[in-house]
Amino acid sequence: MTLSRRNFFGIMAGTGSMILGRTKKATAWESKAPDNPYACLVDLTRCVGCRKCEEACNQANHLPPPDISFDDKRVFDTKRRPDDSRYTVVNRYYGGKKNEQDELLPTFVKIQCMHCQDPSCVSACIVGALTKKDNGAVHYDVSKCIGCRYCMVACPFEIPAYEYHNPMTPQVRKCTFCFEKISKTGGRPACASVCPMEAITFGPRKKLLDIANKRIHENPGKYVHTIYGEKEMGGTSWMYLSAEPFESLGFQKLPLAPPPKLTETIQHSLFSFLWSPILLYSVLSGVMCLKNKDDKGGSHES
Amino acid sequence: MKSKRWTGVKSKIYALTILSALSFSFFFSVSNGNAANVNKALKQDKPENWVASDQNAAMERSQERVPLIINVKMEKPGERRNRLIGVLSMKDSEHRYFLLNSPIIKKDNDLYGPVRFMHNKHMIVSGDCTTCHHYRPEGNNTSETVRCRACHQEAFHPDIPERTGLKAAYHLKCLGCHKAVKKGPVNCTGCHAKNVPDHGKLVQLTGKPKPSDVTKECLRCHQSSAEGLSTSAHWLWRGPSINTRGREKEISNGKATNTMNNFCIALSNNWPRCTSCHAGYGWKDKNFDFSDRTQMDCLVCHDTTGTYNKTPQDAGMPDPSVDLIKVAQNVGKPSRQNCGDCHFEGGGGDSVKHADMNSTLFWPNRNCDVHMGGYDFNCHECHKTQNHHIRGRSTSLPVAEGGFTCEACHTENPHSGNELLDYHLNKHTQTIACNTCHAPLYAKCKPTKTFWDWSKAGDKKRKPQKDKYGKDDYLWKKGEFRWKESAKPEYAWFNGNVERYLLGDTIESMNHLKITAPVGNFRDPQSKIHPFKVMRGVQPVDPNTRLLLAPHLYGKGGYWKTLDWDKSFKSGMTSVGLKYSGEYTWISTEMYWLINHEVTPKNMALSCATCHTSFKEALNHPLNQSVRTCNRCHQDNRDINFEKLVEQGIDFQLLQQRGRDSQSLIDSTDYINFKALGYKGDPIIYGGRFKKLPLGWKQ
Repeated sequence: MTLSRRNFFGIMAGTGSMILGRTKKATAWESKAPDNPYACLVDLTRCVGCRKCEEACNQANHLPPPDISFDDKRVFDTKRRPDDSRYTVVNRYYGGKKNEQDELLPTFVKIQCMHCQDPSCVSACIVGALTKKDNGAVHYDVSKCIGCRYCMVACPFEIPAYEYHNPMTPQVRKCTFCFEKISKTGGRPACASVCPMEAITFGPRKKLLDIANKRIHENPGKYVHTIYGEKEMGGTSWMYLSAEPFESLGFQKLPLAPPPKLTETIQHSLFSFLWSPILLYSVLSGVMCLKNKDDKGGSHES
Repeated sequence: MKSKRWTGVKSKIYALTILSALSFSFFFSVSNGNAANVNKALKQDKPENWVASDQNAAMERSQERVPLIINVKMEKPGERRNRLIGVLSMKDSEHRYFLLNSPIIKKDNDLYGPVRFMHNKHMIVSGDCTTCHHYRPEGNNTSETVRCRACHQEAFHPDIPERTGLKAAYHLKCLGCHKAVKKGPVNCTGCHAKNVPDHGKLVQLTGKPKPSDVTKECLRCHQSSAEGLSTSAHWLWRGPSINTRGREKEISNGKATNTMNNFCIALSNNWPRCTSCHAGYGWKDKNFDFSDRTQMDCLVCHDTTGTYNKTPQDAGMPDPSVDLIKVAQNVGKPSRQNCGDCHFEGGGGDSVKHADMNSTLFWPNRNCDVHMGGYDFNCHECHKTQNHHIRGRSTSLPVAEGGFTCEACHTENPHSGNELLDYHLNKHTQTIACNTCHAPLYAKCKPTKTFWDWSKAGDKKRKPQKDKYGKDDYLWKKGEFRWKESAKPEYAWFNGNVERYLLGDTIESMNHLKITAPVGNFRDPQSKIHPFKVMRGVQPVDPNTRLLLAPHLYGKGGYWKTLDWDKSFKSGMTSVGLKYSGEYTWISTEMYWLINHEVTPKNMALSCATCHTSFKEALNHPLNQSVRTCNRCHQDNRDINFEKLVEQGIDFQLLQQRGRDSQSLIDSTDYINFKALGYKGDPIIYGGRFKKLPLGWKQ
């Protein structure tokens, strides 16, 4: 097994927490998630793969024109990922459902930043360039960003992308949740407002969960009885309803606890009452004292 | 507009002392006052008072705002359906036709044009109002059905977040049903045309570009369009001829290769003149390179300015005075103007060739063509296009890139609204093409050529006489003509296939030849009675090889220069690779042209009595109460104005009063001539072709 960067961090964090968990009780971690932010509910049974959301996103964010036109359905032949030139992409999956003619039925899956309730990227960002806003958006402030790309490592959905082609003023790029738009009354994300099928429903998160539960309740045979994003990673502002198991549609099986809970607990435990720096510096000063004693004699010789 | 240009060209030619042979001939032909030969610019600006009435009314309705209904009465679908069956019917439908174009939808994005929604058609096909009208507003005295937008308006309404917005309501309902019943369009452009982005900024042309430079600029983004056009009939002028009997598997028949007619006969060596209607630049001889996509003419079909024009005798090159950059910056979907500029002018002038297409269709009256005049249809809304292959087929040309029928939109039971007639009219659709009743006349407003005798050509001394329409009956270049306006079609059984004479086919009878004729007969269930314009002509034939001759007419060495038929045939036949024995004679020919356009609304369709003599007899009978027609089967005593019922429809007398040439048709009956079609007589009396009359009534 090769040790990837992600795994390495995982192991490190795991080991650290095991050691520390025993040594010292931390103050309980508290979620900073907004109570009822805006959210989007994506109903995959409605999506027809028209790619209008991609087009609307491209225009709303003034992204470069795509290599292949938004009308071209051939893009579905490969799985695409959001990157610095496209904040959202729709992929086609064949989850296994068939029609009467025994033809596989496609399910189209839109992916973008999930705007987690307790985002790892925000937690990992050392300069506060990424923040979780009250309206739900995980907001990126380029003026603060130093380009460390910790957010890219931290994101469990592998969303933030970096402008590697732009060496002078590179930015981290990801879905903005149309922050400016949704900050205004009646404003909606570009993708949600363009969607012809209302596969994306935009609204307060709690209300959307009600709607999602209602849809499942009214069509128990149609949907799998899970709302992806309700609890995953501590809950996300983008949630999905599906007719097929999420694992067969490219969704990762993720833990329910928000990652910052673990990492921040470790970090906060390390720094609570400043015991670790005090200890560290005490040890260091001790070492220095000892070393200085040794050095007194030696200096004459030199 | 063009005549000005002619004067300009003329004066230039006067000014020049050195004349090339070609330009000299050009001048010569114009100065001979050959009015019929001068292509007048057909394009017309929209007349100020022109309104497509139905379309306009629907558009106004679509812009109306209605108050949002928050509370609806929840009812289980099955219960609601059962409750409303028999309660709601076609009579409750206030409007047959809607445009789905609400400002609610356009608020955030305006990507597509309006959707034409045929409400009554959907009522018939679905048979269940509750499929769409799934809930009713809460309250006791509320309407059972309301418009979609009464309940569905802006998406994500805070008070009713679970209710879909109008756009999604349309898409979910329409798509859901179309997919479920496997009928109706499920792709975006199947229902609404995509708005063309403003090309003003996209087009990067400067200076004075050549036509091919413009095409190169178009191809920068539209490679796939060129790919599509490169195999299309509009580019190649040939293609698969799946509807031509005996040639179903051939793929190279068409104007470019072997199609003949009894107008200007064939393309043979007449390139620059004929190909002025080609969607390309410079097809001036047989060496034209069809693989060179930069020679494609995008602008002729996509110009929206109305300023683009091709020079009539320059192999498709645009008029040098056209501002190509301006045209390129204003491209859009083709309109009737674009298509009509060539297709209304078939045969070298307005209305000459096609029975049912002429410049009146640019801005027609509703009665002239209900689709274009009432609903402002553009050609491509029926002639749907995919990869630049345009659906539709004619009897006159073998190439077909897919066909469509009236039934595709209107269903096989299109009549609704008059319960006394609907059943009978809908039964007619099994035997009769829609246009048999809905195009009772052809060339309604502009006379068309119905006869052309080439054998009389060449007499420069003969003075042309004006006929009653003011058309010349003679032209020394072309021979003798007859014209007809508001003509009665000829009727024949037709199953979609055509018998066709193509260049190089041997003629059986030297007395008479049908260049095209419909295939079909009385006993063939696929055949329906269709209306045709039959073009009759006299044209040259080689008595030895028994081949119809293709003359070289235009340009150097052509008949219009030399007046020498022999040379003309030699040159023409050589150019198509066929033998000419040196002898020629004349043969009378016929060509059937199916009438597809100039579709009239119901008030101008044939009435029952126009065809069924028995009704006419009953009406004219002094004791018409006692003559049994409808009441032969219907034993009821309802008070029905029988006369009005069977006589409602086209009124030739009224047409004549309005200045149309329909005098001879007034009071006509047995309009389609049942006996000639194989019936014993009026089918009301003698029965149809497959069914006997049920009640055994004898006259």
